[in-house]
Formats: sequence, structure tokens, C-alpha cells
Amino acid sequence: MNPEIVLIKGTFAFYSVAALLALCYLFSKQERLSLWMLRLMGIGLALHLASFGFRLHAFWQIPENRFFLPINSFFGALSYLALAVAAVFFVIEREYRLGILGAFVLPWTAIGVGAAVIFADPAIAGLVPALQSYWINIHPMVLMTAYAAFGNAFGVGLALLIQEHQIKSRKPSELCYRLPSIEDLDNLNYKIIVAAFPTLTVGILMGGVWAYNAWGRFWGWDAKETWSLITALIYAGYLHMRFVKGLRGRKAVYVSMVGFASVLFTFVGVNFLSELHGYLSNE
Amino acid sequence: MNEMIPVELVGFSHRSASSRARERLAALGVESVYARLRSVGFEEAVVLATCNRFEVYLGRPESSPGARRALSELEDMAGSELAEQAYLFSGPRAVRHLFEVAAGLDSLVVGETEIMGQVKGAYEAARALGMTGRTSNVLFQRALFVGKKVRNDTKISAGQTSVASVAVQLAHRIFGDLSQSSVLILGAGAMAELTATHLSSSKVMRLSIANRTWERAVELAGRFSARPLRWEDFPSALVEADIVVASTGSPEPIVTRAMVVELMRRRSGRSLFLIDIAMPRDVEESVHGLEHVYLYRLEDLEGIVADNLRNRGGEVERARALVHEKAAEFCAGDRREFAGQAAELRHSEAL
Amino acid sequence: MRLLRSIRFNIFLGLLIALAAAVGTLLPQVPEVPEKVSQFHQAHPQWSKLFDFFGLFNIYQSWWFMGMLGLMAFDIIVCKLWNKPPDVGMVALPPEINREEEIERQLSRKEAALKLKPYQALLRSDLPFDDAFGKAEGALKEAGYRLSPEFRGASGGAFVATKHGLQRWGSYIAHIALVVILAGSLVKGLFGFVEMVPVLEGGSRAMQNKPDWEVYVDKFTVRYYEGTRTPKIFSSVMRVQQGDRELGAKTIYVNDPLDIGGVRFYQASWGAGGMFRSVTLKIGAQKLSLPQKKRVKIKGTPFTVEADMMLPNFTIKDGQADTASLDLQNPAVRLSFTAGPHKTSPLWLFENNPELCFVEDENGMLDHAPKPPFQIVAIDPVLFSGIQVAYDPGYRIVLTGAILWLTGIVSLFYLHRRRLWVLVEPDDGQARITLGGWSSRGPKEYEREFQGLVKRLGSSLACSDFQISRNPLLEVS
Repeated sequence: MNPEIVLIKGTFAFYSVAALLALCYLFSKQERLSLWMLRLMGIGLALHLASFGFRLHAFWQIPENRFFLPINSFFGALSYLALAVAAVFFVIEREYRLGILGAFVLPWTAIGVGAAVIFADPAIAGLVPALQSYWINIHPMVLMTAYAAFGNAFGVGLALLIQEHQIKSRKPSELCYRLPSIEDLDNLNYKIIVAAFPTLTVGILMGGVWAYNAWGRFWGWDAKETWSLITALIYAGYLHMRFVKGLRGRKAVYVSMVGFASVLFTFVGVNFLSELHGYLSNE
Repeated sequence: MNEMIPVELVGFSHRSASSRARERLAALGVESVYARLRSVGFEEAVVLATCNRFEVYLGRPESSPGARRALSELEDMAGSELAEQAYLFSGPRAVRHLFEVAAGLDSLVVGETEIMGQVKGAYEAARALGMTGRTSNVLFQRALFVGKKVRNDTKISAGQTSVASVAVQLAHRIFGDLSQSSVLILGAGAMAELTATHLSSSKVMRLSIANRTWERAVELAGRFSARPLRWEDFPSALVEADIVVASTGSPEPIVTRAMVVELMRRRSGRSLFLIDIAMPRDVEESVHGLEHVYLYRLEDLEGIVADNLRNRGGEVERARALVHEKAAEFCAGDRREFAGQAAELRHSEAL
Repeated sequence: MRLLRSIRFNIFLGLLIALAAAVGTLLPQVPEVPEKVSQFHQAHPQWSKLFDFFGLFNIYQSWWFMGMLGLMAFDIIVCKLWNKPPDVGMVALPPEINREEEIERQLSRKEAALKLKPYQALLRSDLPFDDAFGKAEGALKEAGYRLSPEFRGASGGAFVATKHGLQRWGSYIAHIALVVILAGSLVKGLFGFVEMVPVLEGGSRAMQNKPDWEVYVDKFTVRYYEGTRTPKIFSSVMRVQQGDRELGAKTIYVNDPLDIGGVRFYQASWGAGGMFRSVTLKIGAQKLSLPQKKRVKIKGTPFTVEADMMLPNFTIKDGQADTASLDLQNPAVRLSFTAGPHKTSPLWLFENNPELCFVEDENGMLDHAPKPPFQIVAIDPVLFSGIQVAYDPGYRIVLTGAILWLTGIVSLFYLHRRRLWVLVEPDDGQARITLGGWSSRGPKEYEREFQGLVKRLGSSLACSDFQISRNPLLEVS
């Protein structure tokens, strides 16, 4: 069997088990669960990188593909996205020691890799001429890192909604005492968005520069460009509402969740619309 | 079997003795008790004296006069008949009792953790006076270990059991660490003061106390190193307060919905935690419906405490079984194990 | 006007723009897919009337959409840029007043102002005033602060120390950047153009936007990945002539255009229009080369064969032959055989699929036909090179805007701005130093740093004691 496929299936297994452990950790007190969750995630991440390495090797067998990154297919893109979500989660966990947030974030990594393995075609294709540019190594990665961060923010927002509901109900369950405080979650949500928003906008601008070099127009209002702009507008709205109107807590999370829905549409939904940017349309 | 576990115990607890008897014993002073015990020939003894308990654990090499003798010495010192209010245990029964005490199973509030510190303190005091021996060393260290294990393996200590500590715990769940939070106490009263104590030990940024009577505010403020406020000033102080404890005797609510609406506007959306432990209510109930405002009334806090106690209570059987198991293990060990256990259980020191 | 400056309105406007843009991705748009627009009109005539009224088939160029963008740019200028961020607050001393008096007045004002800062400290130094002042400045400079002196006299002195002051301009710069980017787009909209010029290989075509320019493609090549129909590279050897004068010539590849004074020629696409040089047909042992629309005799038979039409990406639409696109995914050739006065019904044969064959009746309707005893060996189509000509005079402006945006946004979010207001006064041969501190980040990130800074100052100023306090009233988000 293709070593890349074996490794990515292994990755899926590890991410899934880690996500399950994370969900269990939400309801039980065993520190061991959290420890193993992180360990399994680490192993999954290593397998993921190894699988990516194999893919890279196969991809570079085609001379036109050197030395670009193999994200010209849905498979490659989904895979990278799941990787980015896991990586961002690790960074946040390291900084804030909030392993309990794994329950809200890790399922996305499992879903991402799972979708790649189950639905996407892993075949290695040659890059079409438009993509044979150094920009392919930068522009999509920057954007997807932003998307991964927004995914993490979504997880944090979800935790905030749960915590807020718990305390507002005046009958908090044990979960309430294990989740971080409302203020901490709100600040973390904000901090992640503050880091991700500039990344997103820079990625969009990079796309414009690349488009100008390839087709002569910086901005063409094609579906993917437009939706990434919509995403940026929504998160800009979030930031303005927070800075200028002091919007926090539940309502702020709702806005950031609409933003994340837009991220999902930008990444996945658009493929059903656009010819130019679509992964699915060219097959 | 009893030669293996040379331990005896004479004790008075809130279950067996009246508070007057316990007060009498407490008034004796632990050092004088040790002096008396030494003078009549006890070489190994640990006195555990808390507000709810007075117990003397006696090591029993053949030379010691025995628990009954200790009891009569205590009666003599206290100047009254105490025998009917005491319990005397020896051997495995005594071991089991000490383990139960350490696990918080014999406390007024099941699973409380203060007793661990008290047991450790008692043991160390005895050691400092040279009143411990091989038996008490091993026994007490094991007791601390068992106490910790029971609390970890069961939910006996889970959940706060006083209204004040529940309130503070909730505050932590809203604000995280309270070092940037500002607390305002309105009025006074035992519960309010207890909450203030907990909060100030959580190192809040600022504690302010407002009272209709200026002198009272000043007095309270002095006790908690807080800032006293005149009663007229409290509405403006509300803006900067993140946590408000309302405990006045006012017959009408002093914090209205309109006030809070305005307040929240000026606070630009920062959360507000109102603890209303006054009867009748100091804060209008409709305030809870506002965004970012959390109003907990006395009955809400009491409800949480009752739930926690119930959960703890549900764990008592399990904890007791664990204690008995550990006690039996301890007693079943032979002399070699005794020596071995003393060396091995250092980690129970980490309380 | 108040409405235009309100942030709530502008957030609403931004989201409205987002909504309109979203609609533009869901409905087919004229500039991108005009054929889909006509299809939509045919399929939903009533809705189309409604949508046409609002210009929903060409949203991004509609007057109201561009109007919203313009309004946004205007609002940004009016909200944000009209009032520049206030300056540092240099105390300009009127020269005619007795300087010392003025300084004393400023001292008390300064002290009052310092009491309002979120972080405060008071230090008592054993050093004399002049020493202390100099050392305080030195210590803060060493800590990486930039100093702005305010005033200094015998009765006291003050200065302000800032770190990462750029952060304050971050929001301002970022908003300017947005306006610049929109301005660049406006320039492009007014003066720029984009035009697709399909040129047959070996041929030429005039541009529409510059009618005296002629684009020649002398040679066009496309190469595929092994065994697939995916192109791996395609390029044109092209030149642009203005009458007899050659304006520019280059072999262009995708991502590698020809630039003539800002007008850029991009290798954007390519395809086959249906013209071909020849089709090679294998009949029995013979290989015949059929030029387009020319009858060729088949040796040893009374038949002649003619290839008259080719479709690059054959597909069946409404029962008739059609092409799905202009790239050579599924090339098919229509052949007709003649023997004397008799002519057969035309047959469609496929380069990629020798098994398949369709017969076409006089109405153009297709039907399956059995596999014929001849097959198409090769087709030599006349390709056209899709050259996108773009002139964007606003690009430089947009690029500048992009860089400004990057600077602004990074300064705003990633720089941590701190400020210290320092007041030094002589106090009985020693010095008293009052500090007010401010941070653009929250207390969790700054408090410890402030305390550390005060301690450092304390030690370098030989301070006997110092107090630090917090003023929570000023905690802002």
C-alpha cells in the first residue's frame, strides 16, 4: 500500500482517539486523559508530517512540481488545514495550559483528516501552469493558518457559551468548575482573532498580488476572493464592535461564529461555485 | 494481634461530648496535657485538639499506664467527670478511627480538608516535644497518606460547602484570577464578612466597604485592609466594582434594574457578579436577566452547597470502605512491614 | 452627518457590503459567465426581471455597490482620519511669562494628571534633583524608551517616555491604507481596462481598447502531462505591432507576461475554436490526411470523405452536438462520405474513444451508431492563444495601500505600547519622583513589567523607598 495513505489513515485514527479522550476529559477528572490526549495528538501530528513528507516526495517526481507544496487538490488542502488546526491548538495549549479546550478543537482535526481520507481523491496531479509559482508556497498557507486559528477561536467561543450558560443558570454543574473562567475565555477568543485577522488580510492581499502577476487583475470578485473578503469584513466587524462598543461575552461569540461559518464557506462551499478557484471543478 | 498495633485512644468529639466539656478540655492547653502525661509515665502520646475534637493517641509499650489512666488524668485536670462523654479505642479500632478522622469522615462537614493540617500539626508538635515513637511515627504518616488518598479517589471533598466559599468559587469562574477585580461590600453581617475574608485571601485588587453607619464601615475596612465608603458614595463606587456583596437590612432593594442598566453601559460590557445574601433582597431579581450580569441570591448559593453536601454524602460509604480497607492492610502488616512502611511513606508529608 | 460618523452605521455598512458581495457569488454575474446569465434568464424569467431591476447580475460594477464602497471610504476619512490622533502634549511655554512661575503651575497640573494614570509609583531618591533627573532619563533610555522632554526648571522637571509609539498610529495607518486601496481600485476602474484577446496561432487580432494595436501570435505551444489532458505548460511567441512599429515581443508563459508601458499581456488561457489543419484518418491500411472541408478520395473505393467540423470538447445538448468548453478535452470530428451523387449522413468520431460513434440526421439530432471500420489517428487543430490584456494604472497605488495596511495592522495588534510620565521635584536636597504609567495591553501583561521598571529606577536612583499603586477606574477594555 502507498505509505502516504497508510500514514494518513494512522493520523486519522490518532486524531480521532485524541478527540474522544478530550471529550471524556471534559466530563471526568482524570488528568491522565489530558496527558494521553496530548501524547496521541503529538503522535498523530508526527504521522501527519511523515505522510506529508511522502506526498511531497511523490509530488516532486513530476519536474513541473518542484519545489512547490502539494496543495493543488482538495486532499492536500484539507490535510494541511487539519495540520494547521492541530498546530495552533498546541501553541495555545503550551501558552495557556488549557487542555480542556481540546474537546472543542480536536474534533475538527479528526473531521478534517477524515474528510480528506474518505471523500477526497489523494491522486497526485501535476500543477496547472497558473499554479506554478512560488506564491503557491505562501498564499494558501498563510490563509489556511488564519482559518485554523479561527477554528480554534470557534472552539473557545463554544466553551464560552457553555460556561456562560452554566453560570447564568444558577445551577452550575461540575463542568463549570473545570472550564476556564468567562473572562479568560472571552480574552482568549479575542486574542486568537487578533492574531488571525491580520494573517487573513495579508493572505488575501498576497492573493491579489499573485493574481496580478498571473492574470493582470488584482481583484476579480471571484467566489473565493469575495468570500475571503466577506470573512474579513465579519471579523473586522467583531473587532470594531469590541473596541468601540465594548461588545463581549455571548453576543461577541455569536459574531465570531458567523465569521467562522464564513470561513467554512470560503474553504469548502466556494468549491461548488467557482470555476477559477475550485478544487472540485477542474476534475 | 493487639501487640502488633500498640495504639490506644481516648477521645471526645462533637458526637460524644458536649461543647462545654470540649471547651473545658480545650482550655487546658496542649502543652500542660503533655506535661501531665509525661509525669505519670506516658512516653508516647499525640494530642489532637481542634474546635470539635479532643483526642489523645497513646503508644503502648508494656510500660505505659494505659488509656483509662490518661482519661482519669484529664478528668482531674479539667475538674469534672468526663468518662461518659469519652470513647476509648485500642488496636485496630483506634487505627481505623484515626484514619477516618484524617479522611474527614468524622468531621462536621464531611470531607473537610482542614483536619489534615490539624492532624499533621498535632503530630509535629508531639514530635517536637519528644513524645513520639516508632508506632506513632508510622501510624500518623500512614493516616495522612490515607486521608489524601481518600480525598483523591472519592468525591468526599468535592464541591464547596459554605455559602461564602461557593460564592468565591463562582467569582473565580467568572473572572478567572481575581487580582484585577474590585469588590464592593454593602452592609455587614457574618456571611458578608466571611465572603470578604475569602475574597481578600484570593488577593483581589481592591476591597471597598460601604455601610449606612460610617463607623461600622471604617471598623470593617480596618479588619480587611479595605477602603471604607460613605453610604452616599456607593452608587458611584458600583461602576468600578466587579463583585458586589449585598447584605444590608434594607427592606427595599437598594440596587435596582435601572441602576444596573446604566452601570453596565458605563462598564462597557465587563461582567458583574452580584451576591445578594440579604433578607429581604437587596437587589432586584430582574437584574439577572441583563447581559453580563450574574445575580446569585442566598437560596441559589445554599442550593449549590446542599448539592455539594449531598454529593459528598453519597461518597461517604465508598470512603468509609476505603478507610477500613487501608486500616486492615495497616494492621495486617508484620513488624518488618512496620519498619518498611515508616521509611517508604515519606510522600505523605506533602500535604 | 452624525449618522455617517457613527461606528454602528459603518459596521452595518460593512456587513451590507459583505451581504451584497455574497449575493454576487450566488447569482451568475455577467462579466464572469455571461452564458450562465442568459441561461438563468431563460429558466427564471420573472425572478430575472426583479434581479435585473436591482442590477444583481452585475453587482460589483453596479452604481449602488460602488456607491457603498465609496461611502465607506468617505466614512473612514470622516470618522477616523479627520481628527488626527492628538499629539504627545508638549507643553509649549509662552516665552514672555516668567519661566519659573509657569513651571510651578505646570508642576501642579502635571501632578494632578499623573494621579489619573492607571499605574502609579512614587519614589524618594537620596540623590539631588539634577542628578536624579539625569539618571531617571538615562535609566529609561537604557530600558529602550524614547524620551520627549517637557519642561525643566529649578522647581522641578518632567518628561514622557514611550516605547513602540508606532502602535498608536497603527489604527490610523490601517484605515488610511483601506482608503488608498479603494482609491487605487477607482483609478483602475476609471482608467484601466481588461480585455481577452484570443489570437489564432500564426495569426493576429486587434485590441478593442487600443484599436491601433495588433497582437500577433507567431507560435503557440501546449504540452500535457503524460497520459492526461491536463496541460503542464503553454506559451505563446508573441509580439505587438502598432502599424509597422513593433512595440514589444516576448515568449510569454503563465505567470510571466509581456509588459508594454504598463499594458500587460498575460498568457491566460488557450483552446481550439473548431478550425483544424488536418485530420488523420485510418481506413483499413490507408492513412488519409484530411484538410478541413476538403474532399479526399479513398483509394480502392468509389468514396470520398470530408471532414468539415471539429468540436474540441464534445458533449450532447438537447440531443445535438455541442462543445462543453474550448479546451481539447474530448475532440470529435464530423465526417461525411460521398459516392457520386449520394452522400451519407454525417458521422461523429472521437480521438480519445475509437469505440464511440454518433450519426447525425438532417435536423442535427444524434443517435448511436455501431463502431466504424475507420478511426481517427490524430487531429491537428488550429489553436488560439487566450491573451489577457490588462492595464491597471491603479496597481501601484493598491500595492502601496497593501503595504500600509500591513504596517498599520502589525503595529496596532502586535506592538505593545507603553508610556511613562515622569515628574521629578527637588525635596530638601533630595528628589521626589512621581511616575504615571499606561499600557496599550491589559494589566496582566503590563503590571509586572511596571513594577520591575520601578524597582530598576529605584536602584539606579538610590531610592530609599517607593510605593506602587493602581487606579482601576481607568481600566479600559
